[in-house]
Amino acid sequence: MNLWPLLLLLPLTVLAQDDVWDDSEWEEGWEGEEAGTVWSGFVEGGLGTRFNEDELLDNRNTLEELRGRIESEWQPGKVTISLKADIDYDGIENSWDADFRDLTAAFSIGEKLDVKIGRQVQTWGTGDLVFLNDLFPKDFVSFFAGRDNEYLKAPGNAIRLTRFSPVVNVDFVWTPVFEPDVYLTGERFSFFSPLAGENVAPRPPLSAVDPDESFSNGEFALRLFRTIEGREYAAYAYHGFFKQPTALTSELEPTFAPMSSIGASLRQALGPGLFNVEMSYYLSRDDRDGTDPFIPNDQFRFLAGYEWEAKPNFTVGLQYYLEATLDHDELIENSPFPEYEPDEYRHLLTNRLTYKAGRDKHTWSLFTFYSPSDSDFYLRPVYTYRHSDRWSVTGGANLFGGSDQYTFFGQLEDASNAYLRVRFHY
Amino acid sequence: MIGRMFFSLLALSVGVSATAEVLTDADEIISRADRASYYAGADGRSEVRMIISDAQGREQRRQFTVLRRDVDDTGDQQFLVVFSQPSDVRNTVFLVDKHMERDDDRWLYLPGLDLVKRISAGDKRTSFVGAHYFYEDVSGRRPSDDTHELIETNDEFYVLRHAPKDAQSVEFVSYQTWIDKETFLPMKIEYTNAAGDLYRRVEVFEVGEFDGYPTVTTSRVSDILTGGKTDMQFRYIKYDIGLPEELFTERSLRTPPRDWLKRPAD
Repeated sequence: MNLWPLLLLLPLTVLAQDDVWDDSEWEEGWEGEEAGTVWSGFVEGGLGTRFNEDELLDNRNTLEELRGRIESEWQPGKVTISLKADIDYDGIENSWDADFRDLTAAFSIGEKLDVKIGRQVQTWGTGDLVFLNDLFPKDFVSFFAGRDNEYLKAPGNAIRLTRFSPVVNVDFVWTPVFEPDVYLTGERFSFFSPLAGENVAPRPPLSAVDPDESFSNGEFALRLFRTIEGREYAAYAYHGFFKQPTALTSELEPTFAPMSSIGASLRQALGPGLFNVEMSYYLSRDDRDGTDPFIPNDQFRFLAGYEWEAKPNFTVGLQYYLEATLDHDELIENSPFPEYEPDEYRHLLTNRLTYKAGRDKHTWSLFTFYSPSDSDFYLRPVYTYRHSDRWSVTGGANLFGGSDQYTFFGQLEDASNAYLRVRFHY
Repeated sequence: MIGRMFFSLLALSVGVSATAEVLTDADEIISRADRASYYAGADGRSEVRMIISDAQGREQRRQFTVLRRDVDDTGDQQFLVVFSQPSDVRNTVFLVDKHMERDDDRWLYLPGLDLVKRISAGDKRTSFVGAHYFYEDVSGRRPSDDTHELIETNDEFYVLRHAPKDAQSVEFVSYQTWIDKETFLPMKIEYTNAAGDLYRRVEVFEVGEFDGYPTVTTSRVSDILTGGKTDMQFRYIKYDIGLPEELFTERSLRTPPRDWLKRPAD
């Protein structure tokens, strides 16, 4: 491309800077009245492909999409209406798709109670890409395929009530219709099937049996939280289902087992960094003694983490995560596939390295999952270049491996991929 | 220290009209400068816009509103920063609990993930949303983190030199400030690195008076070695508006307090 015409424009650009505060350059009102309704969003193209072919899948690519986002917000009276909608063309599924990531009405009742009703993304808990008490839906397919981190959290239709008080704040989320995680179906990634003893990619793709819709089959999530002297304490409870289809119906179809949990967490400053600890107890309501091989057992989960800035602009995060399967002996005794059942103790170590340069223009990050008990790993190197307020480019990879095909990351070995996304904000 | 100017929009100068005495104690001067820059009124609000330019003249823009409340005058403080521009940071909220006796607590709310992210104490002299300003500049560096020496007093300024007590925690070896003798607002700050080079400069171009408090309205920080700079402009400044303590909690991270963020009528 010939750049000379652009160079001719340079002196003009310099002249324009004499008045740096020229208001026409700003989107939002600065003089007088505040801006009214603002529309914004982005358009993004993404392409990701496997390093090696997955023989079970026709398409070597993991990401082929063009996505448009539109966002806005209105305040009729005391209510705030928020909208975040995505439209995308997905070349892998060969379809157009539209979803609201946010379509909510938020308002307060009295001084202390906030209400948010509608489709919304929700997050709580202290883990970094490891979730114990956060049982809101996650989209692991997007995460593994190379979409933006934001898409790891899937939206759900819910009513959230938050009551604030100096003693303890209470968050209550009711999701009337169970929202599972977006799980591996065999469409974009193959997955390990104990029945087949190997990876499968069923056609049509796997579709788990959802719980019947009823009030008691809704999800109820509770968080009590309070910050005292910079220490963030929280206690959690949940009544719903395991978020992944890890159970089987009597017809041997995958489904979601009823589950309730309680847990607690603490996050606080410690030395130069931040320390967090979290635990939860998952109670598998239909298999309390752990003898039913088609229903997951009770679990105890524990997480401890530390994050600090090791050098200027270089942050290190370390986490240790334990997933203990209770009544493990009963599980192994009754399982038709004892060799594929989880270890009694699944240990997972994670490491996040982040380096920023040029005032956040360049961000390099590497997130590593490594399980010494499963002997598998998942590496996520990502580089983001923020060219301007409008344009950004992200390149990264998802690298999976393990010594066994039946472990969580081991089954994804053939899914290892690299991707590139270009985003334009408007 | 940069923050002194960054938020000196919220400035109060106690000594302004009281006396015209010439001070000779560096600690006294710096304490008045800190007060002038950060502790105007019991609380305050301002809208801020920044133009971040690199050496090639490429610009990025940020616009946000700041609410500030003093827990104790010249002591602990709370800050809430709500972004409105550009679109990829809109509704991002930054909350600071500034402490005198321990490290500040800082949180960043990322609306895309509904994530309340905590920022570690050590991570303070890194770029604030891509600007040449640092996270630490938002709420200010504690005067007790540095030693202060008065090196010159002229008609306009007290000129002071400062050195960090913990050299490992910062990128500068020393810095020099030019503090206005009338308002006690630092009008220029220059930073020197380990190589002995002057590498960073903060300048105030305009000061206005709001609710009786002299306040910076335009300023610039320049990265002398690379040629980049960030210009800042402050408007819709008001003090003593009665911000409640509960405003500075997780509630405001998830649900920015519209009524308090609204631009004042006058």
